[in-house]
Amino acid sequence: MAEEILLITDDDQPIGLDELLDASGLVHDDVIELVAIGVFQPLGTASTWTFQARTLHQARRAARLRDDFGLNAPGMALALTYLERMEVLEGRLRELESLLPRP
Amino acid sequence: MKFKDYYSTLGVEREASNDEIKKAFRKLARQYHPDVAKDQESDHKFKEINEAYQTLSDQEKREAYDQLGRHSPGEDFRPSPEWDSRFWQDGASQGASAPTGDPTIDLADLFEQMGFRSAHQGRSGEAAFSRRGQDYEVATTISLEDAARGSEVALDLDVPEIGLDGTMHRVSKTVRLRVPKGVIDGERLRVAGRGAAGIGKGPAGDLYLAIRLQPHRLFKAVGHDLYLEVPITPSEAVLGGDIEVPSLDGRLTLNVKPGTRGGQTLRLAGKGLPKRKQGSGNLYCVLQIATPPSLSDRERELYQELAKLSTFQPRLHLQDGQQGDQSNG
Repeated sequence: MAEEILLITDDDQPIGLDELLDASGLVHDDVIELVAIGVFQPLGTASTWTFQARTLHQARRAARLRDDFGLNAPGMALALTYLERMEVLEGRLRELESLLPRP
Repeated sequence: MKFKDYYSTLGVEREASNDEIKKAFRKLARQYHPDVAKDQESDHKFKEINEAYQTLSDQEKREAYDQLGRHSPGEDFRPSPEWDSRFWQDGASQGASAPTGDPTIDLADLFEQMGFRSAHQGRSGEAAFSRRGQDYEVATTISLEDAARGSEVALDLDVPEIGLDGTMHRVSKTVRLRVPKGVIDGERLRVAGRGAAGIGKGPAGDLYLAIRLQPHRLFKAVGHDLYLEVPITPSEAVLGGDIEVPSLDGRLTLNVKPGTRGGQTLRLAGKGLPKRKQGSGNLYCVLQIATPPSLSDRERELYQELAKLSTFQPRLHLQDGQQGDQSNG
């Protein structure tokens, strides 16, 4: 088999609504609600929404939380907000730990 | 095929109701879910819990599982011919037996294929059954140097694939992936359309690669910034001077100002990890004052002489009645 080298999807390339739905497993209504709550920030108008590539990772996580914990859209929004805040704080903690002398 | 006890994985009785099964799953998920727990052990445990739940939460699969009978976990078994004809070969099936003799197929694959077949058969009146291919999720650990330069990783995938005719097989394949420079720890990269092939008109799934950075001997990475602990001598801290420090692009000279305190941080702009498009993070040198583990007689004499001579009082603010009179800065 010919050796093939796969390339990463460009991070700057915005993704459309259909791709977001297909790749994440969220349904249209979930996305509408998550946009209304402000967790997802699309560009363009409702008929031409595009999303930043990072939204796909959020959307996949939201779908996992929905499937595994039975969360509805407000629940997904809250969990995503907390998880992201935790990640920011974990980053800040790593930063502060890096300032301490090694034991 | 090796038997797995899905009931004991979820910690429920064989007679448990659907509701009890769901509750047991949620309770375990709260503890081991990948969005909750980050360690590999939990990850592995959650896969087992999820596999058990996927089968036991589906009436048809649960019945088929129950009819496999009781075996000890890990025991090698083959479903009976009755099981095969009842759960596998009915409907519009091709009459093939369940692929239980195939050592690469495990119980999870079997039930997944069953789900696929019933969906397939349920819609046999429609023109064609389509389903999006599964996503592949893999993790790789790369060095800091490779994250900075960009690298190629070879991923060994061992994945079940279901053909258009409903037969399942596991395929091992190696894919090579170019990891661009500028990735950071915890980042997830996507290769669209390179997961499992779709079924019918369904599109292919995607491939996701989670990046982990190997801990480096010297540098600690936080996002694109690097932290380096730099020990300096007491004299360097007092008198200042130029010192050499390592960086990802070779050695750099750092100017330590006279009167440097321990824990003080010097920023070398743009000497951290490069970013994907342009620019780089910073390198932070955290200065720590190291004391010599042993002294020569002469050194000790000089320190003693200095101690006698010095008027420096760093603890003045800790004395009674002196609070706030002197800053410690």
